Amino acid sequence: MKVRNRLVMLAVAIMLVVLPLAIGSAQKRIVRLTFYYPVGVSGPLASVIHTYVNEFNNANPDVEVVPVYTGDYDPTMQKVQTAVMGGNPPDVFIVEISELPTLLAMNACEPLDRLASKEYLSDFYPAFLENSYGQDGKLYNVPFQRSTPVFYWNKDHFREAGLDPNQPPRSWQETEDFARKLVKSDASGQVARWGVTISGGWNDWLFEAFVIQNGSTLLDYRKQRVSLNSAEALEALEFWVKLTNTLKVAPPHSTWASTPTDFVAGRTSMLYHTTGVLIFIRMSAQFDYGVAFMPAQKSYGAAVGGGNLHIARSIPEENKQAAWRFIQFLTTPEIAARWSRDSGYVATRKACYDVPEMKAHVAKYPEYGVARDQLQYARGKMMAPGFQKVREILKTALDESTGGKALPKKALDNAQQQAERLLKGWASK
Amino acid sequence: MKSRRQSPLATFERGFRLIGVSKVHLHLILFMVSLVSLTPYLWALSTSLKLRTDVFTPIPQWIPHTLNTSNYREVFSMAPFGRYLVNTVIVVLGILVIQELVIVLSAYVFARMRFRGSGILFALFLIQMMLPVHAIIVPNYLTMRKLGLLDSRLAMMLPFWASGYGTFLLRQAFRQIPQDFEDAALLDGCSALRFLWQVLVPLAKPTLIAHALISVVTHWNDFYWPLVVTDSPAVRTLTIGLAMFVQQESGADWTLLMAATIFVTAPLMVTFLVFQRKFVESFMSAGIKG
Amino acid sequence: MTGDCEVVSMHSKWGRGPNPYVYLIPSLVLLGMFTYYPMLYSLYISFFSWDIFTPQPVFCGFDNYVAMFGEPVFWLVLKNTLMYTVVTIPITMAISLLLAVLLNENPGWMRNLYRVACFYPTMIPAAAAGMLWVWLFNPGIGLVNYYLKKLGVPTVEWLYDMKWALPAIMIVSIWKNFGYYMLIYLAGLQGISRELYECCDIEGAGFWARLRYITLPLLSSTSLFVVIVSLINSFQVFDLAHVMTQGGPADRTNTLVYYIYQNAFRFWNMGQASALTVVFVLFLLAVIAISMRFMERGVYYEV
Repeated sequence: MKVRNRLVMLAVAIMLVVLPLAIGSAQKRIVRLTFYYPVGVSGPLASVIHTYVNEFNNANPDVEVVPVYTGDYDPTMQKVQTAVMGGNPPDVFIVEISELPTLLAMNACEPLDRLASKEYLSDFYPAFLENSYGQDGKLYNVPFQRSTPVFYWNKDHFREAGLDPNQPPRSWQETEDFARKLVKSDASGQVARWGVTISGGWNDWLFEAFVIQNGSTLLDYRKQRVSLNSAEALEALEFWVKLTNTLKVAPPHSTWASTPTDFVAGRTSMLYHTTGVLIFIRMSAQFDYGVAFMPAQKSYGAAVGGGNLHIARSIPEENKQAAWRFIQFLTTPEIAARWSRDSGYVATRKACYDVPEMKAHVAKYPEYGVARDQLQYARGKMMAPGFQKVREILKTALDESTGGKALPKKALDNAQQQAERLLKGWASK
Repeated sequence: MKSRRQSPLATFERGFRLIGVSKVHLHLILFMVSLVSLTPYLWALSTSLKLRTDVFTPIPQWIPHTLNTSNYREVFSMAPFGRYLVNTVIVVLGILVIQELVIVLSAYVFARMRFRGSGILFALFLIQMMLPVHAIIVPNYLTMRKLGLLDSRLAMMLPFWASGYGTFLLRQAFRQIPQDFEDAALLDGCSALRFLWQVLVPLAKPTLIAHALISVVTHWNDFYWPLVVTDSPAVRTLTIGLAMFVQQESGADWTLLMAATIFVTAPLMVTFLVFQRKFVESFMSAGIKG
Repeated sequence: MTGDCEVVSMHSKWGRGPNPYVYLIPSLVLLGMFTYYPMLYSLYISFFSWDIFTPQPVFCGFDNYVAMFGEPVFWLVLKNTLMYTVVTIPITMAISLLLAVLLNENPGWMRNLYRVACFYPTMIPAAAAGMLWVWLFNPGIGLVNYYLKKLGVPTVEWLYDMKWALPAIMIVSIWKNFGYYMLIYLAGLQGISRELYECCDIEGAGFWARLRYITLPLLSSTSLFVVIVSLINSFQVFDLAHVMTQGGPADRTNTLVYYIYQNAFRFWNMGQASALTVVFVLFLLAVIAISMRFMERGVYYEV
């Protein structure tokens, strides 16, 4: 090839490389953030999130948040972990609060103390912040989609059974008594209507609530102590087993998704489930229903739940700053209040309830205030590194006991042993 | 035997009558089985056309009280099923094209050539048939991660490009073609490669089509591998999209869920119904060759 | 037997003809990368500790295996896997064989309809099939319990009942696959010469005798193929379990495939997951070896 031709080719090649770069740098830099979010409750919430994201993007032309719906809590955590391990983490992500220690073990989260002011944090309900701090005392996430379990009951069924429809059970004993009156069998002796359902799926979360109601906790993150087989826990499980196996007023197993349907279809008169399905029940139930605190034992009690906003650690500083702006946007009282109304999650800040639309909303639907009011009795959710496995161990104990395959004491002792073995690596760190 | 030529049906009928089964009973059994087989899909269709609150009745209604087609529109607006469809088509075709190329080459080798180690190598192909990607998900996932291919359509295709099953099928087909063809081609001065592509392949077309149909159906419905190896909606396929859609709804709105399910299964179903003779023949012929 | 061609050494026919190994390179590379290397890699990693607490693999000998065998869930999972394999495969085969026999003697246009009605579930992804059946199996408002009640049969909680969840999944699996195997058997049946049946007829043999002495033996190679295909299809239990029960209740629908997934992608214990993979591969090879031995004895090829 002639020398001249080669030179021309070289010049063109250089131009092709340099030109776009030149043009690119002439434009303003837009920071693109990937935002992984789960939807943990039913409803077209992906589009709701997209609305907020669009509002933020329009108000902040130098940032572009790209929302990525990643499924339920479990798959979202998997995707976050996969991305982190692949060296390509999402800039902002929401995961279930119990996953924090696991993420910290992977060094995946950016500490937020330098970004969050004391004033800002003081407006959040304290119970919601209990899953935000690592063992080093640093802040790693901000509450966003939060919930507690609540108690639903079918007022029509209560009337039918001769119970006061406006008086839900206030104690474990009353729950048992009411359930015995409410359970119905059909002609062939099979249960046509359960008295009460303690939903499966996240029954570990509900169990935590029962243990708190009984005056204890299952796991102390700060002290790195796990106590799945305390006397209080055993009592709680024995109460469950009494309901499912002895009195047969509660189904031994179910899934998180099936029980709200059961409630709406009239197949269970009382239900323990998240406040998050409130919207679903309101839109689908064709009967009078009530929402209340979960019945107490030694006191009312609940473990908080839901997901928080995190910023990834190994991203550029400007991404972190942009991510913080996005988080601040999502947690302004107005947006947080809207989110609560649209999703059924509890509004995370006290200021939310002062927002006029929110006030009107709660006045119209008082049940929205139940979970918020229960917060005074709520504790942080149990969390530990490798939480998924601990959860599995606990669920096995619960499921085998209610299924009549294991004695509660043995099941819990077993679970305790396994959990201690698993977390040995934790305590040594 | 000519004198005793009776219709097989009569023979069978006599056998059946010995145990009191007649032609009517035959039809009855087949009809009942078909009905039971069809029920789930028809019920899903019926549910997808109902109003969300109409499904909670204890007495099931086959014909919806109020016809409601908005579920399908809503499904589309809640998740980018159009993109999922495109992704699925890309992945399926990407797998198919390379598969056909690869198996033609390897089937030819095993059908026509004798060489050292052919037995062992062929066994390797056979074993691969029985060890699909499900069994070795973890190391394959780690390989993809090392190659930096996580969350890509390529990752969904790669492990399927070599098909032990396809090689096996095609080898049988090649062996059916008489040696004389090859001898004639040699006399004409044809090279092996040309012979392969211009003679063998066209002659084995029915088998290639059969394999293609089976491959398309199989990989259209892939779930486990795409689940593990992809994350973002940009590359998500229909089956994963459905599973995630289900999670979003927390199983609460069955009419929506059924609409989504019907939508995800519709493309393949419609194609099947239109070309059902071809599909049936292909799947059946695969059995004979096996 | 049609023209099973004589294989001839390449050099004499084609001169400097194609090297078989060259043609095989694409396949072998792919097979190596995605089938054989992974198997060996699993074996290798199974001797390492690699989880949330140990971000880089650390050699630990047989620890993973000891931990695996010490977990009660593992034995439950193994039992479920065995039960699932041992129940669904023979039942599906029997049903599809019977239907194929019936369909074979059924001329006319209805035959097409029956074929389509039985075969279409194969077109549906297992995940979607799972969704359909979760809805059907709903104990309160699902079709299955409704019709069972109508027939006077006692109903169960299906997917929420420890005893019935796995059978429920088995039912879905059978529904999904029986049409496909029916077609394969149909093809096999059509290959059986009528004359053989007529011989039988002369002897005065009945329906069942005919089935036992002629049909079944001549279908043995087809049956072997069906066994292999159903083994491959049995992996779909992952899709079904993932969508219908997530392994529950209380791990009663947790099978090896799903358990590996849980260990790898929920608990992030790659070492443990690899050990389980090794067990799984051995299990598969064992099942294949057993069925081949079992079938080999009965396989006849028509001369």
